[in-house]
Amino acid sequence: MILAKLLLAIAALVLAPIAGGLISGVDRRITARLQSRFGPPILQPFYDVFKLFGKAPMVVNTWQALCAYVYLTGAALSVVLLFLGADLLLIFFVLTVGAVFLVMGALASPSPYSQIGGQRELLQMLAYEPLLILVFAAIAMVTGSFKVSAVFDQTHPLLYDIPLMFIVLGYALTIKLRKSPFDISACHHAHQELVRGVYTEYSGPYLALLEIAHWYEVILVLGFCALFWATSVGGMILLLVLTYFAEIVVDNVTARLTWRWMLKSAVGMGVALTVINMLWLYAR
Amino acid sequence: MLDTLVFVTVLLPFLVAAALLVLRGQNVRKVVLVATAGVLILAALAMLRHGAFSFAPAPIFDRLVTIGDFVILFVVLFVGFRRKNQIIIWLTLAQIVGLFWFESFLLKDHPHFPAFFADDLSIVMVLIISIVGSLIAVYGLGYMKVHEEHLHLPKSKQPVFFFFIVLFLGAMNGLVLANNMLWMYFFWECTTLCSFMLIGHDNTEIARKNAERALWMNVLGGTAFLFGVILLHKTTGTLALQDILARGSQYAVAGGAILAPMFLLVFAGMTKSAQVPFQSWLTGAMVAPTPVSALLHSSTMVKAGVYLIVRLAPLYAGTHFSNFVALAGAFCFLVTAALAVGQSNGKKVLAYSTISNLALIIACAGINTPAAITAAILLIIFHAISKALLFLCVGAIEQQIGSRDIEAMRGLHAVMPRTAIITIIGVVTMMLPPFGMLMAKWMAIESASGQFLVMIMLALGSALTVLFWARWAGILLAEPFGKPKPERQYASVRTPLLVLASLAVLVSLLAPAVYTGLVAPTVAMYYKTTAYSVTMLGNLDSKTGMFIIYPLFILLGLGFCYAVRQAKRVAASQVSAPYMCGEQLDVDGKAGFRGPLGQPVAVVNGSYYMERFFGEDVLTKWINAIAIAVLVLMLFGGAL
Repeated sequence: MILAKLLLAIAALVLAPIAGGLISGVDRRITARLQSRFGPPILQPFYDVFKLFGKAPMVVNTWQALCAYVYLTGAALSVVLLFLGADLLLIFFVLTVGAVFLVMGALASPSPYSQIGGQRELLQMLAYEPLLILVFAAIAMVTGSFKVSAVFDQTHPLLYDIPLMFIVLGYALTIKLRKSPFDISACHHAHQELVRGVYTEYSGPYLALLEIAHWYEVILVLGFCALFWATSVGGMILLLVLTYFAEIVVDNVTARLTWRWMLKSAVGMGVALTVINMLWLYAR
Repeated sequence: MLDTLVFVTVLLPFLVAAALLVLRGQNVRKVVLVATAGVLILAALAMLRHGAFSFAPAPIFDRLVTIGDFVILFVVLFVGFRRKNQIIIWLTLAQIVGLFWFESFLLKDHPHFPAFFADDLSIVMVLIISIVGSLIAVYGLGYMKVHEEHLHLPKSKQPVFFFFIVLFLGAMNGLVLANNMLWMYFFWECTTLCSFMLIGHDNTEIARKNAERALWMNVLGGTAFLFGVILLHKTTGTLALQDILARGSQYAVAGGAILAPMFLLVFAGMTKSAQVPFQSWLTGAMVAPTPVSALLHSSTMVKAGVYLIVRLAPLYAGTHFSNFVALAGAFCFLVTAALAVGQSNGKKVLAYSTISNLALIIACAGINTPAAITAAILLIIFHAISKALLFLCVGAIEQQIGSRDIEAMRGLHAVMPRTAIITIIGVVTMMLPPFGMLMAKWMAIESASGQFLVMIMLALGSALTVLFWARWAGILLAEPFGKPKPERQYASVRTPLLVLASLAVLVSLLAPAVYTGLVAPTVAMYYKTTAYSVTMLGNLDSKTGMFIIYPLFILLGLGFCYAVRQAKRVAASQVSAPYMCGEQLDVDGKAGFRGPLGQPVAVVNGSYYMERFFGEDVLTKWINAIAIAVLVLMLFGGAL
C-alpha cells in the first residue's frame, strides 16, 4: 500500500513535467499553424529548458534563487498530492505556496517591469483562486467529500451534475495557463506592453526551474479538468483534448484585457455560474 | 492548588497593576513586570496540566464584583458627561438602572454555584492571554522607553500605561474563567474601560476621539450584554454558564425563548470583536502605542467577543439564528479582507485582517458543526500568536524607520534583516500551509460547503487575504544584493519577537496534539462527537476531507532548506543590476536608468492598492448599510 503510493508519487514527479513539456510543445505547434507559421519542433520546450540550465546563473539578489526553488517545490508537491488522491482544497493551498513565492521573487527586484508583473500576478491569483475553491466546493457537494479519491467512486461523470462549474474551471485554466485574454502578468506573445512581467528578472537555470514548475501547474489544472469525466479514461482524454484545443483557439482569437475587466468578469461569471449550478443541484 | 491558580491568573494581575501604579522606578517596573509575566505563564501551564475545574471564591468577592460593576459604570458615566457624549450617557444610565433593578428585585438569593469554571476552551484562552499577553507586556518595556523618548514628556506616563496593560490581562483571564454571567459582565466592562484608557493614552486630539468612539461602541455592546444576561436569567432561571451549557440541547430549538438573549449576547460579542458596522473602533485604536494594538488584536479584547460567541454556540446550534450568524460572519470576513487590500498603512492592514479573521471565527460558530467549532477554536489559537507577532514587528519597524506605511518598508531586509525575516515568518504562518492558521481556514471552508452563500464569500475573502499578505512579504525583500548590517534592538523587544516567531512555527508543528489534547475534548463535550480523527502519521481525517500535516512539513521543509542552500551559494559575481529596459545607472545608491536627454532617472515603485475598488471611502458606507441590514435580519429572522 505505502510502496504503491510511493511509486505513484515518483511517477507523478517524473511524468508530469514530461507531459507538461510535451503539451507545451504541441501547443506552440498548433498555435503556429493557426497563425500560418510552421512552428518549432514538438520537443522545443525541452531544448529550451536544457539550454537554460547550461547558462551561468545570474540574479538581482539571493531571494530570487530561493523563491524559484520554493515555487518548484510547491508546484511539484501539489501534483504529487493530486495523484495520491489527497484533499482538493489542500492541493490548492499547496499550489498557493508556490504561486506566492513566485510573486515574492518578482517583487524582490526593484525593476519596474518585474514589480508590475508581480502585482499583476497577484491580481491573476485573486481572479482564479475563488473560482477554484468554488469548483472544489461544488465537487464536494456532489461527492460528499473534498478528497480526490471520492471523485473516482462516482458512477457517472461529474460533468452531468455540475456542467457550469466546468466552464468556471475553464476560466481559471485560462488564467493559470497565461493565455489571452488573461495573460496580463506574463505571456508568450511578443506584442504585449508587458511581455515577461513576473518572469522578467529570472534568468538561466532559475528560469528553467520556473518553466518546469509551470509544466507541473499545467498538469495539475488539467488534472482538475479530468476529474469531471473520471469514470472513463477515454472520456478524460477526450475532455482534455477538447478543453486544451478550446484554450488555444481562445488564446489566438482574443486580445489581452485589463486587470479590471479580468477581475470583474472572472469573479462575476464565476459566482453567477456557481449560484445557477448550485440552485439547479438543490432543485433536482 | 486550584485557588492558587485562579488567584495568580485573575487576582494577581489586579494587585500587580496597582503596585505598578505606585512603584515609579524604571528598573523596579522591569523586574516586577518580567516576574509577573513569568508567573502568569507558569500558572497558565499549570492550569493546562490540571485540566477542567470549577472553583468558588469567598462570598465577599461576590459583593466586591457588584461594587466593581457600579464603580466602572459610574466612571464611564463620568467620562460620558466630560465628553458630552449622549450615547455613552444614556446607555450607561440604562445599564446602571438595569443592573440595580436586576440585583435588588429579580435576583432574590445569592448564587449557590461556583463563580469560576474551566473547560478546555477556557484553558486555551487562559494560555493565549497569559503567554501571548505577557510577552506583549514585556515588549512594552522597551517600546515605551523609546516611545516616550520621542515624545519628550515632562513626566513619564508609563505607570498608568502598565497599570492598564496588566489589569487587562487579569480581566481577560477572569472573563474566560467566569461561570457566573454577572462576573463575566464585570470583567467584560473592565476590558472596555482598559481599552478606552489605553487607546487614549497618548492624549492627542485623534487619540481622544478614537478612544471615545471605542467607548461608545463597547458601551453599546455592554448594554446588550447586561440585558442579554437578564433575559437569559429569565429564560433559564440561573446565571451559571456551566449549567446552561449542560442543558444546551434542550434550549437549542428553532424559535426557542433562548434566542432573544442569544441575539443580545452575540451582538455584544460582535461589538467587542469590532465586526462590521462597528469596525471603526478597532481601526481607530491603532493610534495607541503598538503594545496596545498588539494586545487588543491578538490575545485580549477582540478575542473576548469571539470567545463568547463560540462559547454560546451550542445553545443556538441548528437554528435559523445560527445561519444568520454564519452569514454575518462570512460577509464581514469578505468585506474587511477587501478593505485590507486597499490599505497601504501597515497597521491598518493588520487591523482589517484581524477583523476579517474574527469574522471567520464567528462564521464558524454560526455554521455550528463539530468541524466548524474545531476550526473556530484553532483559529483563535493560531491567530493570536501570528497577529501579536506581526503587530510587534510593525511597532519595531515603525520605531526604526519612522513610518508604518508598507511602501516605506520596501527593501526593509537591508535595514532590519532580523525583523524583516520575522515579519515574513508572521505573514507566511498567517496564510500558507502547513501552518496552523491555514489548517484552520481549510477546516472552515470545508465545513461551510453545505451553505453555498457562506462558501462563496469565504472563497472570495480568502483570495483577497492571499493578495495583501503576499504583496507585503514581497516588498520587504526588494533590496540590492549584499550582506545587510546586523540590527540592534532592546532585549525586551527582541526576545518577545523571537519567542512568538518560534511559537508560531512550533504550535503549528504540534497541531495534531493541540487538536486531540485541547480542541477535540471541548467539541466532544458540547456536540457529543468530534469532527476529525487523527491518523497514525498525525493527519486530520474525516469523511469530508483530510489535512496532511507532517509529510507537508517535511517535504515543503526539505524543499525550503534546499532552496536556502542554493540561495546561499549565489556569489557576488553572479549578481546583475535590475532590468530597466535601457541603460542601467546607479542614481544616488538607488537603481535607475539613463532617461531622456541623458538624464539619470531613479526608479520609484509602488504597489497596486486599487482604491477605486477597495478604498475605504468607496466601500465603507455600503458595507455598514448591508451590515446593519444583516443585523436586523438576524434579530427578526432568527432570534424573534
